[in-house]
Amino acid sequence: MTTITATTAPPRARKLVGAGRRQWIGLLYVAPAVALVMVFFVIPLGMTAWMSLHNWPLMGEHSFIGLGNYWAILRDTRFWNALRFTGYYTVVVTIAIFAVAFPLAIFIERPRPFTNLYRTMFFMPAVVGFASASLLWSWLLNVDSGLFSPAAYDLGLIDKKFNLLATFQPAFWSIIAMVVWKVAGFTMIILMTGLQSIPQDLQEAAVIDGAGPFARFRAITLPLMRRTLALALILSVAGSILAFDQFYIILRGGPRNQTLTAVYWIFNQSFVSFKLGYGAALSMVLLVILVTLSLVQLWLLRKPEGLD
Amino acid sequence: MRTLIAKLALTAAALGCGLQFAAAETANIWVRADGSNFMPKIVDAFNKANKDQVKLDIIPNAEIIPKYGAAAAGGTAPDALSLDLIYTPSFAAAGQLEDITDWAKSLPYFASLSPAHVKTGTYKDHIYGLPFSADASVLIWNKKLFKQAGLDPEKGPTNWAEIEADAEKVNALGGNIKGFYFSGNCGGCNIFTFTPLIWASGGDILSEDGSKATLDSPQLRGAIDLYRSMVKKDLVPAGAQTDTGANFFAAFAAGNIGISPSGAFAIGALNTQYPNVDYGVTFLPGKDGNWSSFAGGDNFVVTKGTKKLAVVKEFLDFAYSLEGQTILAKYGSLPVRGDIAKEALKDLDPRYQIAAEAMAKGKTPYSVVFNDLINSANGPWTQMINEVFFGDDVDGAIANAQETMQSIIDQAPQK
Repeated sequence: MTTITATTAPPRARKLVGAGRRQWIGLLYVAPAVALVMVFFVIPLGMTAWMSLHNWPLMGEHSFIGLGNYWAILRDTRFWNALRFTGYYTVVVTIAIFAVAFPLAIFIERPRPFTNLYRTMFFMPAVVGFASASLLWSWLLNVDSGLFSPAAYDLGLIDKKFNLLATFQPAFWSIIAMVVWKVAGFTMIILMTGLQSIPQDLQEAAVIDGAGPFARFRAITLPLMRRTLALALILSVAGSILAFDQFYIILRGGPRNQTLTAVYWIFNQSFVSFKLGYGAALSMVLLVILVTLSLVQLWLLRKPEGLD
Repeated sequence: MRTLIAKLALTAAALGCGLQFAAAETANIWVRADGSNFMPKIVDAFNKANKDQVKLDIIPNAEIIPKYGAAAAGGTAPDALSLDLIYTPSFAAAGQLEDITDWAKSLPYFASLSPAHVKTGTYKDHIYGLPFSADASVLIWNKKLFKQAGLDPEKGPTNWAEIEADAEKVNALGGNIKGFYFSGNCGGCNIFTFTPLIWASGGDILSEDGSKATLDSPQLRGAIDLYRSMVKKDLVPAGAQTDTGANFFAAFAAGNIGISPSGAFAIGALNTQYPNVDYGVTFLPGKDGNWSSFAGGDNFVVTKGTKKLAVVKEFLDFAYSLEGQTILAKYGSLPVRGDIAKEALKDLDPRYQIAAEAMAKGKTPYSVVFNDLINSANGPWTQMINEVFFGDDVDGAIANAQETMQSIIDQAPQK
């Protein structure tokens, strides 16, 4: 009896020691990543949260005011207007991006003549930085020295140069056009990988069963694209809610502050009015909104039971 | 004994040298990019003539305030900086600047320093900033286009009716030529060139102490109607509506604009970069004559607690000397000392004299939240000017701006 316990106990102990060591080694492996996340995400986030509880001007003393900044946000109509505009922009631009990117993805998914050329062409704008793209477009859209308006005038299409950026609707749709041009290629690549992962035999079986292209798209392509769609959608929504560069560089929030986005307002409060504490509080509010929205999207587009 | 004396003498000499060496100090000074022409010249001249030295950093206009704030928080702020004068009250209110009242008042020429600069440099009866560089607002007109339009090329407009009539005649030349230009979406440009029209007619947009917004004046309304009328008659290029200031000077310099309000800086820039544009300079007029000007430029401020105050004072003394003022004038700033302005400008383009005269009577609105109210691209002033010049609801836009400006003033930090 004693021999049995004597022989069974030591291996168990060795096992524990081994697991512990492995855990330590594992931690060591991820330590650099953890350090990076701490330094560049967790600590700044903590500092932002701490700042948001202060009256923190650019210069001079800062003082603790508890939730004062958050109470002020409740009465900040310009922030809520900016948030409403950001929501409107997000919905419109996301629909527009998918409306362009999905057909493009279907178009370039199968090999056909010049497929690689098309892929490169459609994807090219995605590698340009948002700020550079915005500068380029702000020149193209300039009424006097740009491309569109002077060209239309010189060709005799219009009898008076039309300033696209002077009124809300044309200015807004100019931005949508620019963002779709810039982003659709990236979304297209994501959607294309999703399309390519759908097994061909499923489609072929459906063809044999007599399903038309639309029925196949609805019953096979869409359900099997769920995860890819979720990824593309979350990227698009998160990106749009954080929109800033194009509105700052091309429109300066104009015409007449009608295109102020939430991030633009945070920038404005932090670096124009120099209310750093208030800017931090606004950032925290936006973060909560963004996280909530992303969770809702993940939940809505989660993998249905029984479907691989 | 002899060797001992010799040794002592050597030691004393070495010590003397050492002391002399230690006595030469270097002060760090920042300037915004607007001063990148004249500031290096004046720093060079100072460094050549003095044992103490100044090290200069030129910072982009839009970055100098946040950069200075961050540096001050980290204890690495420069000893002094040349700062857009409108910021002086808010910097002083933040407790960031050295009180230089006694020194300022001890200057024999204190009374001749640009009054608008000294006013913005004063906070609660203490002086925190002294004038450094200056820019007045003036009206410029293109003589060649005036001649072509059958106008007297030597006579600029002297009231609002003449501005509009002259602009109309130039505009009639057709093609790419337009009568008038202003940056319709730039708050800073329009406080500089549009409010003088109002001041010259007896109105204002802020009360003297900056505690009340006064946008609901008939003078403002009148000046708005002048611009609206010119926009409606198509005397202004379509691009003006969205110009955030990038084209403020370039439009006139291209030679296709009849009349444009601008700054004295345009004189130097046109002479050196666009010698083919023949232009005249006059005052910005009121509705029925009279004239006014914005007093722009930089105040020189000293960071609180700097150990280089002596060098900073030495440098500013040099800048205020006739030599210093002449260098400033030669490289694009108006002199800030009224008593020697004429002398400093005597070898330069005579059109500077008009700008210097405008400067002497120049006016700068006083506010601790000037940036929020006026300069911000999204502030109430910028939004209002764009709406009233190009939009449909003038009264609504003015009322809205009045209310927003007042609420920003009321929420400003009170110390």
